[in-house]
Amino acid sequence: MRKEMKICLPVYKVLYSAAFIVILSIIRGISRISEIGLAMEPPVGLLALVFCADTYWIEIQSKRAEVFKLCPLKKQAGAVRKRLAIQMVFLTGCSAMGYGMFYWQKPMAVTGGEQLAEFLVFLAAITVTIMFWGTLSMTICNIFRNIWAGIGCTLFLWMTLNSQAGDRILGKYNIFSYTFRDSYDITNLSWLWGKGISLLITLALAAAVPLILKKREAAL
Amino acid sequence: MSVKIKDLTVTFKNRVTAVNHVDMIIPKGIYGLLGENGAGKTTLMRVLTTVLKPTGGTVSLDGIIYGDNTYEKIQKKIGYLPQEIDLYPNLTVRECLEYMGELSGIEKTVCSQRIDFYLQKTSLAAHQKKKIRQLSGGMKRRVGLIQALLNEPDFLIVDEPTTGLDPEERIRIRTLLVDFSKDRTVLFSTHVVEDLAATCNRLSIMKKGSILYSGGIRELLEEAKGCVWSCYAENEEEALELEKSYHVSAKQYVDNGLKLKLLCEKKPDADCRPCEVTLEDAYIYITNMKDY
Repeated sequence: MRKEMKICLPVYKVLYSAAFIVILSIIRGISRISEIGLAMEPPVGLLALVFCADTYWIEIQSKRAEVFKLCPLKKQAGAVRKRLAIQMVFLTGCSAMGYGMFYWQKPMAVTGGEQLAEFLVFLAAITVTIMFWGTLSMTICNIFRNIWAGIGCTLFLWMTLNSQAGDRILGKYNIFSYTFRDSYDITNLSWLWGKGISLLITLALAAAVPLILKKREAAL
Repeated sequence: MSVKIKDLTVTFKNRVTAVNHVDMIIPKGIYGLLGENGAGKTTLMRVLTTVLKPTGGTVSLDGIIYGDNTYEKIQKKIGYLPQEIDLYPNLTVRECLEYMGELSGIEKTVCSQRIDFYLQKTSLAAHQKKKIRQLSGGMKRRVGLIQALLNEPDFLIVDEPTTGLDPEERIRIRTLLVDFSKDRTVLFSTHVVEDLAATCNRLSIMKKGSILYSGGIRELLEEAKGCVWSCYAENEEEALELEKSYHVSAKQYVDNGLKLKLLCEKKPDADCRPCEVTLEDAYIYITNMKDY
């Protein structure tokens, strides 16, 4: 696990993600604690899609892929999934810290119990968001064997879903249902549909990892 | 253990045929693959490593024919050192090799023993705690070679392992390959003729995707025998005239002018005498003069 961490969490990635979260907590204004999650979910999704895009692509870029492909498929898929999981745990940790940083803005106080509940809901939602965008961008990168195609296609989807049109068309089924929920109505849990769908898609993409890795370069 | 290649063709989507109806048998021991840049050596090797599916023809390793159902079985028998490989820069030499071993599915204690053995063999034991990014080019190649050997492959494929290395490192890599070729098949691809002269007895020469020569080095030298001439030119103009008329495989300034090595099937129209054929001369002869 330590070796995988050294491989998939190089210093520059740790620094840019931490800087991203710090800057976000400074420039994005909030007034209530329940707004923190809304302020964070789409940008963290964006961070995840960039952060995880190169999970396997680093093997191609550094010309290790041809050696990597000689290993048993199970081991290859296991390594890729492990790297993905490490990056997701890291990003979730960053997001949790970022949540705390928003308190610098002194949001409207609520009771301790409510604060904790709000934070736990945020943590669950952001974890699914990170998993979805990270896995999706990595999968598209692997299919096209091109990091820009992976980031580009996922970014297009991110922009489409994180829009008024995305909210209007998909409603509670939107991947960003947590962001578009009514934050005043804490009893409305219909946004869980969107998160459930994200989770299912993520699991399907994770299951497809061996199929994509198995793909051989074919001549004409 | 031998590798048989039959009528192998690789044509890419841009219609470039990188490997053109190649037939080859690679026996046990070190086998050289020589050719200029772009001759198709790397493409052929990528087919042999199972990374690339060919357009036509068959390849078999120890009687197992390459195909979707056999790739996994074949991959277990192969070790590969690509032309360029950036091993994990943030890992130490030992960590990197342990990681590659884990990925290959080698049992931990066995892997550790093999790493110790190969680190000693490659004189890298003292550097095992260094990060990969801190190593010199030659050291990185040696680590690359160890990773290719970790699963004790029957068929080792090394693609231009000496490119960009200083003479000492080149000799070291060559010696290691000879040591490791005992009891296994090693395909050694290069465009550096002297590397093959120092390591193998048999080779194939590729040009523009086709095999121009397959056989022993001695026989190759025989083919060029009587076609290599040594002559002197008094000045640069005279040398230029000779260069226009003949293939020149060597040129050097000496006290009384220039000394040239000419390749010509008949005695050139100059004051010259036959000289000993080197593998380089034979290679130039085969790739530029002989009609196939």
